Formats: sequence, structure tokens, C-alpha cells
Amino acid sequence: MNGFAGEAGTRPASPVVAVNAIRKAYGGAQALKGVSLSILPGEAHGLVGANGAGKSTLIRILAGLTQPDAGDILVDGKRIVIATAHQASELGMSFIHQELAFVPGMTVLENIMLGLPKKTRFGVVDWPAIAREIEPVAKRVGVKAPLGANVKGLSTAENWLINITRALVRKSRLIVMDEPTAALSPAESQRLFAIIRDLRQSGVAVLYVSHRLDEILELCQRVTVFRDGRSAGELAGARLTRQTLVEAIVGGAVEGLQKSATPVAAGEVALSARGLGRPPKVVDVSFDLRKGEVLGLGGLVGAGRSETARLLFGVDRPDMGAMTLNGRRFAPKSPAAAVKAGLGFVPEERRAEGLVLTKSLGFNLGLANLNSIVVNAMLPLISGRRRKTLAERTIRELAIKTPGVETPVGQLSGGNQQKVVIGRWLQSQPEVLILDEPTRGVDVGARVEIHRLIRALASRGMAVLVVSSEPEELSDLCDRVLVMAEGRIVSELVGESLSRHGIIAASYAGAQERSAA
Amino acid sequence: MSELSMSTRRLSPAAKAALGVFARYATIIGLILMIVAFSILSPDAFPTFSNFINVLNQASLAMIIAGGLTLAVIVGELDLSIGYAASLNGVLVTGLVVKNKLPIPVAILFVLALGALIGLVNGLIVTKLRVNSVIATLGVGTIIVGLAFAYSSGVPIVAGVPEAFLQLSLGRWLFGIPNPIIVMALVVGGLWVLVERTAIGQEIQAVGGNPAAARLAGISVDRIKILGFIISGVCAALTGALLASRLGSGTTSAADSYLLTAFAAVFLGSATLRDGEFHVLGTFIGTLIIVFGFNGLNIFGAPTFSQYVFQGAILIIAVGLSSLGRMLAES
Repeated sequence: MNGFAGEAGTRPASPVVAVNAIRKAYGGAQALKGVSLSILPGEAHGLVGANGAGKSTLIRILAGLTQPDAGDILVDGKRIVIATAHQASELGMSFIHQELAFVPGMTVLENIMLGLPKKTRFGVVDWPAIAREIEPVAKRVGVKAPLGANVKGLSTAENWLINITRALVRKSRLIVMDEPTAALSPAESQRLFAIIRDLRQSGVAVLYVSHRLDEILELCQRVTVFRDGRSAGELAGARLTRQTLVEAIVGGAVEGLQKSATPVAAGEVALSARGLGRPPKVVDVSFDLRKGEVLGLGGLVGAGRSETARLLFGVDRPDMGAMTLNGRRFAPKSPAAAVKAGLGFVPEERRAEGLVLTKSLGFNLGLANLNSIVVNAMLPLISGRRRKTLAERTIRELAIKTPGVETPVGQLSGGNQQKVVIGRWLQSQPEVLILDEPTRGVDVGARVEIHRLIRALASRGMAVLVVSSEPEELSDLCDRVLVMAEGRIVSELVGESLSRHGIIAASYAGAQERSAA
Repeated sequence: MSELSMSTRRLSPAAKAALGVFARYATIIGLILMIVAFSILSPDAFPTFSNFINVLNQASLAMIIAGGLTLAVIVGELDLSIGYAASLNGVLVTGLVVKNKLPIPVAILFVLALGALIGLVNGLIVTKLRVNSVIATLGVGTIIVGLAFAYSSGVPIVAGVPEAFLQLSLGRWLFGIPNPIIVMALVVGGLWVLVERTAIGQEIQAVGGNPAAARLAGISVDRIKILGFIISGVCAALTGALLASRLGSGTTSAADSYLLTAFAAVFLGSATLRDGEFHVLGTFIGTLIIVFGFNGLNIFGAPTFSQYVFQGAILIIAVGLSSLGRMLAES
């Protein structure tokens, strides 16, 4: 019943799964222009590339969710067609995505066994017997939750482990992991790496897709780089370094962000919060956000960063404390009220909360900005021409890669989608812009561009608040960083003390202090 | 859904493209085929100018109520109260004119306002109490049935209906076009401009496309949803008033059957030209299909039962085409 089938040391040289010259177009956009990749048994194979390079498309093809237009897929050297997700599973492939799909209300065991034939006794599913079989697999993977527990309250890390268990129970020989550590803490990530190494020993192959190059370097023996829908190289051994990876991803040297050496002379206070709270997530938050500055809000997962941003933007309402905007009382009852008062918000989940995916780029860009694309205030008709002009200007300014203004945003890559969400506020020019995880899941190149854009907005006098879980992002981007722990602001970093190291140290120190108190 | 979407994934890109074209134009092709077939089978009665005007006239009331419903479904809700609301307002407008001797324009404004109020109540229940719209509008619709009975005691108001009231729907204007067609043209045109060409229309489409994103873009989602229900209610009231005029009486359940017609038209419309997206022009084409179908069945003297079979079948076909379009758009 468990999937630790192969034995260490006996590795056949032939790949478990190989793809050859795969091509795929969506509508007019050529997502894959011929990619090749081969994964050996027992190897952790890295797959990296900028957003839009074609990683997700290839994974969808392997998972049987979409069909390639051309090219071969070989499993154990045999050419096959993967028509359905079920078939992919039969072929020994499992897929673990960022958004994990469980049936809430069912137990861990029931979720692991979902869709698998189950042992029965007198025609009734024999859960105790199944549990006895699954128990050792779950234990080996490190699932701590009891098999009978409801999946509802479990952490993301635990969900990953349950998914890996599921993959092993299905006797998967290849597990594809898409950005596995995006929602994991460093300690949880290390545990995951240990499990991946363990899997390799047993002959299971892992395709590890991530933007985090340090992890790729730590974990993977070989790495395939995609660029613009093509395989840009396979790196291994001495040729596999951070430098070669970045060069292969970007296709040239990367320019760093130029932050002005002396912080911009910050203007007057735009947004100010005093004692803001909505327990248990946000307990006591006070700060001043000035015009022309980029203020960072950092801290560990669960520190209350995103929840604070939601209070500022009127998504949730505070139970205590007060805010002022330009010196006047500010208590938005809804995001609509916040927008009216001069705020803009780029949410963390751009696909779920930022965009209408089926609608065009022009439609999405215009949404927060309808007043400027109508013919006039008396006759609130949308001027198609004005919308197009504005959209084209934004596309140029932000270098959004798209076939055109009318392309549905759902067809764009993650980085370009994020630019659309930011571009929406670029048009309406709010006084205060709040960005929650502005570069999550965005590639190196787009990340630099987005950072540059945020700096440019601040230099025009906008007050910008950046919420981020990445210390590097905050130290690179911000003039000043507030670190949160357990719903409170525990330290303020500026100048010398504002560094990646300083932010991490403050996050952990704050968390410790709080839990000790 | 997942089983079905699997089946479309297995298709080659060319087959998928062909199926996409079929899903998008099937309704229009169906409409044309139906007109051609009826014209061949009944060359004397069907393809005449006066019959086409007659069909459009028939279609007018259905189109007005379906147009209103389109707004409710675009914002992502269902309104099951429209048939009952139309019936109540039909009874009420007749009563106001006959019993209360109100001037006809005042009586009509009164029932349109009541239609708006019904929509407002639906919208408030759905957005503020967070009741599923199917349940909310079914409940409100049932209460409306009760109110209609309370008002008329279930007895149709027939006697003393003034000629001027009948002329509302029987009269002709501009080149002899029947009034209902003109009203319909104004309503369809107005709704189309509202949804496709105004700032509020953009908000309506955004709320339907992704309510969470619309909210964070600064759109008042609740207000837009309530607006959708209000427009749906007003259009239902207008259909009810015109029907009462056409029938020359106020009858408590006269307009109930428009509910099914409107839903079939709206879903047929969503499969038209766009991939499973609700839109006003689509609803117009959907209504034409249904009314032309009825007209053809009538001309051939098809038995009553066949009309129910036709309407039920077309509803299922409509929803099927609509979800086929959406599946193809997603894959």
C-alpha cells in the first residue's frame, strides 16, 4: 500500500517522465513554443522560470488538465496521451498545488483516500483497516494530525504533508510540487526538504517548481529553466549556481533597484492610525504614513499584517482605535468609502480578489476609475476610446505583456496580472496606496519592475504602505519598516537598522517577547 | 460539471474551436432555421409582415420581463418573484383604474413604484440578511401571491375596464407599430445602454464577474445587487400592467407563466455570442426563439401539452448551451 517502491541505489538511467518539444497555444497567445524536460527516478528536479515562461502550462498538460498542440510525453519511455486527471494519477503522477484542495468537513483519512478504491467488510468501508495501512505512511511523511481529525482547522504545512501522504498512497513515482514553501515557515520548509530527500532515497522523483532559488540550489540535482515558452537550459553540477540560474531565467544581467541613498524628505502625514485593533488578529496598531514615503509592514505569518491592511481599507471594521486621513477623521464603512476618501488597495490574492478574470484588460484597468473614462459626469456613458487610450498608456508605462487591450486578463501571466491590479490605481491616483504582498509568485524581472514602479509612485507624492512576508522585499523597497508580532507593532526600523537581517531579528524577537509576556 | 468539463478537454483544439463557434451561434442559427422551416411549412400564414409584427408584439411582454431578469442574473442572483410580481401589478393596475378611478398614467407609475419596492425588498433580504436569492425571491414571490389574492379575493377584475386602458397595448403608434413593441424597444435599448455603455454597467458586470474583486476595487457590491433586483422588479411590473391591458382584465395568476419564459430566454441569451455570459442582446434573441417557437406551434395547431414540452425542453437546452460555452471559455 505504500509508495516507497524503488530501492536506493538501483536507479535506471531512463527518465520516469520526459516531455519533448511540447507546444501549446491559448487563443492567440503561444504559451509553450517547444519545451523539453526529463525527470529521472529518485531525483529532485527543479523547474524555474519567470512568470509566463510556461511552467504552469506544462504542469497542466502533465496533469491531464489540458492537451498540448504538438510534442511528445513519454512515461517510462513510452509515448502516451494524458487525457484526464484520473489518467495522470494512474500513470503515477501526483500534483500538489499552492491552493490545496480538500473536502472540508471530512477527516484526514477520508481526504487521503478520496477517489481511491477502499477496502470493505460486509459491503461497508472498513475504515479501521484502511487506517492501519495508512498510518505508517502518514507517520513516515510526518503528519502529526490524527487520521480521524477534521481537515478544516489544519495548518497549510500539515495540508502539504497530507497531500504528500496521498501521493504516496497512490503509489506516485513523480510528485509535482508547485511553490511548496510559499505558505510555509522556515522550519516547516526544512521539514518538507527532509521529506523530499527521504522520497528520493526511495526512488520517487520530485518536480520542484519555485521562484526561491536558494531552495532550488539546496534541494535539486538538476534544474530546467524555462524562458518565454522555451527550454532555456538544463543546469546541473558545477554549472548550477545562483548566478547561472538568474542569467538563464532573465536571459541577461539583472539590474538592481535604485533606492535613493537619502530617504525622500517625507511630507506631511497622510494616513494615521492610533490604537487600531480588531482582536484577536490585530490588537494595537499605531503609525503615521507620510506622503512620498514607502512604509513597510512586516512580521511573521499570523502577525496580523494583512488583517491590519484590511482595517485600513474598510474591508473589516476596527473594534477599537481611530484613524485620520489628512488630519480628518477616517472611518471607512466599506472599501467603496475608502476609495472615495482617496485610498487604493492591491490585495494579496490577485486572481480571487483583484481581477475579473473573464473580462478584458481594459475592463479591469478601468474598474476603480470609471469617472475618468465616461464621456462626462452628466452623461455617464463609457467612452471606449478613452478607456482604450488610458489602458494603452498603462500597458506601456508598466510594460504589461499582452496581445492587446481586449485580451481577457485570465490569459495573462501572474506578473502581468499583478501589474494590471496595480495599474488600476495608477490611473486613479489615490493619495494612499496599500499593497499586500505585491510580488508574491512574481518572477525576478517583474519583481524589479514592480518595485521600481512603487518607488516612482512614492516619488510623485503618493503615500505607500507595502505589506510583505519577505524581509528582502521590505529592506529593498521601503524607507521605513514596521514589524508586527501578535497583532502589535513591535519595532520600527529605519536607516542603518533597516536590513533583511534586522527585520527577521525583530520579527522573531517580537514574537518571543509577546509569547513570553 | 467536472465530468462534463473533462469531456471537453479530450477534444482536439480544432474540434474545441468548432464547438465554441457552435455554442456561440447555435441559438442564432436555431432561430433562423426555425423561421425558414416554419416559412416552408406554412408559406401563407407564417412568413408575412403582419405575422412577424404579431410575433414581435407577443414577444414584447416576455422580453420586458426577461430583460429585467437579465440584470438580476448579471449581478449573480436569481429572481423567482418576477412572475408573481407581474401578476400582482396587473391586478393592481386594473383595480386602481377601475375601482379607484385613478388616471391611467398615475396607476402605472404606482405599480412601477411597487415593482421597484418589491425589488428593493428582494435585494435587501439577499444582501443584508445574506439569504440565498432563490429562497429569498421564492418567499417574497409567495407573499406576493397572497397579497394579490387579498386585493382581488381571487376574482378577476373585468367589468368597467376603460377603452383607454385597453388601448395601452392594443394601440398603434409610429407607422402603425403596436405600442408594446415600442415600449419593448425602449426597455431593451435602455437596458443595453445601461449594462454595456455606462459606468454603472461596468460595475454591474464586475459584480457579476467577481464580487470580491469588485468590492476591493471600491464598488458597492450590495448597492449594485439591489439595483439589479429593483430593475428586475420594475420590468416585471411593466409586463404585468401591459398584460392586464392586453387581456382587458386583472387576474391574479395571469402573468405567472412568464417566469419560466423569462428564465429560458435569459439562459438561451447567455449562450448567444458570448460564452455563457448573461447579456441584454442575448436575452432579446432568446425571447425571439421562444416566441417564434410558440407562434409556429400555434399556427400548426399543436396541442397545448406540446407547448409545455417545448418550453421545458428549451429551458434545459438553454442552460446546457450556456454551461457548454462557459466550459469552453475556461478550458
